[in-house]
Amino acid sequence: MILTPNIVVRLVAIIVLGVVLQLSFFSQVALFHVSPDVLPALVVALGLLGGTLTGAVCGFSVGLLLDCLLIIPLGGGSLVLIATGYLAGLFRERFEIHSPLVAPLLCAGLTLFAELGFGAVQATLGFDAPVSLLAFRDILVKSIFAFFLGWAIYLGLRRALRPALVEEPSVRRPPRRPTIMGI
Amino acid sequence: MYRKQVRRRRAVLALLIVGSFALLTVTYGQGSDGVQRGVSTIFSPVQSVADRALKPARDLVNWFDATFDARGRNSRLHSELEAARKRAVGADAALAENRQLRKLVELDDSGAVPSGYQPVTARVIVRSPTVWFADVVVDAGSGDGVRVADPVVNGDGLVGRVAAVTPGTAKVTLIADGSSAVSAKVVPGGAQGVVKASVGDPGDLILDFIDANRHVGKGEPVVTSGWRAQGLESGFPPNIPIGEVTEASILEQEAQSQVHLRPFADLRDLDLVQILTGGSRG
Repeated sequence: MILTPNIVVRLVAIIVLGVVLQLSFFSQVALFHVSPDVLPALVVALGLLGGTLTGAVCGFSVGLLLDCLLIIPLGGGSLVLIATGYLAGLFRERFEIHSPLVAPLLCAGLTLFAELGFGAVQATLGFDAPVSLLAFRDILVKSIFAFFLGWAIYLGLRRALRPALVEEPSVRRPPRRPTIMGI
Repeated sequence: MYRKQVRRRRAVLALLIVGSFALLTVTYGQGSDGVQRGVSTIFSPVQSVADRALKPARDLVNWFDATFDARGRNSRLHSELEAARKRAVGADAALAENRQLRKLVELDDSGAVPSGYQPVTARVIVRSPTVWFADVVVDAGSGDGVRVADPVVNGDGLVGRVAAVTPGTAKVTLIADGSSAVSAKVVPGGAQGVVKASVGDPGDLILDFIDANRHVGKGEPVVTSGWRAQGLESGFPPNIPIGEVTEASILEQEAQSQVHLRPFADLRDLDLVQILTGGSRG
């Protein structure tokens, strides 16, 4: 990703908008009693478009803003989302797979990873209560939501950051066969 | 050139991870520091506007959820109706008991506000996205007289307590959070215990450490006990409704000294809450 001041401003706007939308909208709606979590999908999409460094820095920023606005100990969310963004970026740099399913599948998988990571951080900080099985059902459904939302987020971000993208997988079309008019 | 890039990338990654750990170490156990206060103050008007602007869209999505839910509930409600008809015979007795309970928990007609407290009405503007934290942020803060540890209720019962405040916002840790513990008693039996969360399921709480010799029955209401002894006191005023007992097997009561309860307040769908400020607890 080519980082010009214009692109940095866009990235900041995307991160702020994503966090505000998550806290004011997605966290407060429920489908099948589960609220979608779009932030891991947002970080995955940024990592896929920008690589490991962009993914990790954006993950850190999203996590830090989230922790600030939720007034919880800073750093926990950042730690998990750094790893999420880095892994997404690593996938982009290591594997040359250009399938339309890559982004949604990675969003779903890494959302699962991030939610379990949030749980691990919380368990490390300590909570004295049993964990219901519904927590894991909740995480699985969030991952399924991330599959669909991640796909839309990836397409939206690719459009918003198009001027900065170094390489974009081109759609290969079969060569046109010459035609003769009238036959 | 490539090696230099890789080295730079690794250095930034290490810096971010070390920074996260440092922040976690510095801020863990504190309510809210200067950075959080600043960011929260800057963003609270944005969040308030976003909250109001997005309410119609939220209501629309939640309407779909409620519709799916209603279809599933329909058949269950039919069977419940049958059982309710049978129980209707004892309705008069239940009404008399209800009057007694109301007297006992000293609820006023408008809600569950104990005397001596000033309720501050606030709107939920932020909700934690992960299942591991049951926190919400409301749009009233220290500027409105809200202090850390103030109890929070809504029209149905206890919601949680204030865990951190900024001038314009306050973080409320819900009773469904893993860190929450509320001293409570069952009425009219009087069995005392501590209400704890079952992480990931806000519709199920656990009344733990109850006296195994006092039998608790299904459907009995649970309220805050609000004890005070030897200079120590509960963080909650007495007799705020918490929930009703849903599972109370004798085996579980005797073996684990606990029963399950359903909170009266719908912790998944909070909009307006009241923070009970001032007043002496207990």
